[in-house]
Amino acid sequence: MTSAGPAAQRTITIERTYKADIADVWALWTTKEGFESWWGPEGFRVDVYELDARVGGALDYDMIADAPEQVEAMKRMGQAVSHKTHGTFTELRPRERLVLTHIIDFLPGVTPYESTLIAEFFPAGDRVRMVVTLHPMHDEMFTRMQVAGFTSQLTKLDRRFGATAG
Amino acid sequence: MHIETIQLLADPVRLHIVDVLRSGEQSVNDIVGTVKIDQSGVSRHLRILHEGGFVDVRPDGQRRMYSLRPEPFRELDAWISGYRHLWGARLDRFGEALVRRQTAKVTSRKERKQR
Repeated sequence: MTSAGPAAQRTITIERTYKADIADVWALWTTKEGFESWWGPEGFRVDVYELDARVGGALDYDMIADAPEQVEAMKRMGQAVSHKTHGTFTELRPRERLVLTHIIDFLPGVTPYESTLIAEFFPAGDRVRMVVTLHPMHDEMFTRMQVAGFTSQLTKLDRRFGATAG
Repeated sequence: MHIETIQLLADPVRLHIVDVLRSGEQSVNDIVGTVKIDQSGVSRHLRILHEGGFVDVRPDGQRRMYSLRPEPFRELDAWISGYRHLWGARLDRFGEALVRRQTAKVTSRKERKQR
């Protein structure tokens, strides 16, 4: 976590280095099948119906609860199991950087707001370092969890993922 | 981590007020001057923050002075570590998807060669 100022203190940065070609890494963010292959919190999958990888381009998809316990949790909360999600590539420099902005407009009683994610890519030799910067309070993933009512299970998930998370 | 804590801070004005209070105790008027919404709005948000345990208030003559309480931020800090793990898991899935993609490419290249 950085400490440059209040705004910076509210963001977290997660980075990973993958042994991969930058073209493949970039494709996982900017193609329909690539994005569908990994996006979504645990227990959800996505069906992309528009992905337009250029500045101002849309990223629209259905976020679908597909693990039985998540489906159950959504139903218990009176939430739809599938939800249309609207995103936009607000910045995009091919194979270098992208900014993905989601509109959070499905929280009952909460004024719609934007959630922003920054992904930056630094190829070096046969590896790519990927740096993702997030605002936890306004992160789409967290919001989904909140809606599904299973943030209280974070501890449980921690234990489960503790060994591999970094 | 209580969902209420997050919901409380998920409001842009309240988040702004919390930022303003990072530099130390301030009066309502000082906060109004910085946040740039009217006093009744600021007072309402301060009341919500107070009820949520985020701020302490004390009278100072005619003024009411507000300051941050550390407890909810400790709780947030602990929660953010958990959140970090969740995103870590998500980037693991990214890595796995990457490997699948590369494997698929190598396989199709081999198949092409064999033809």
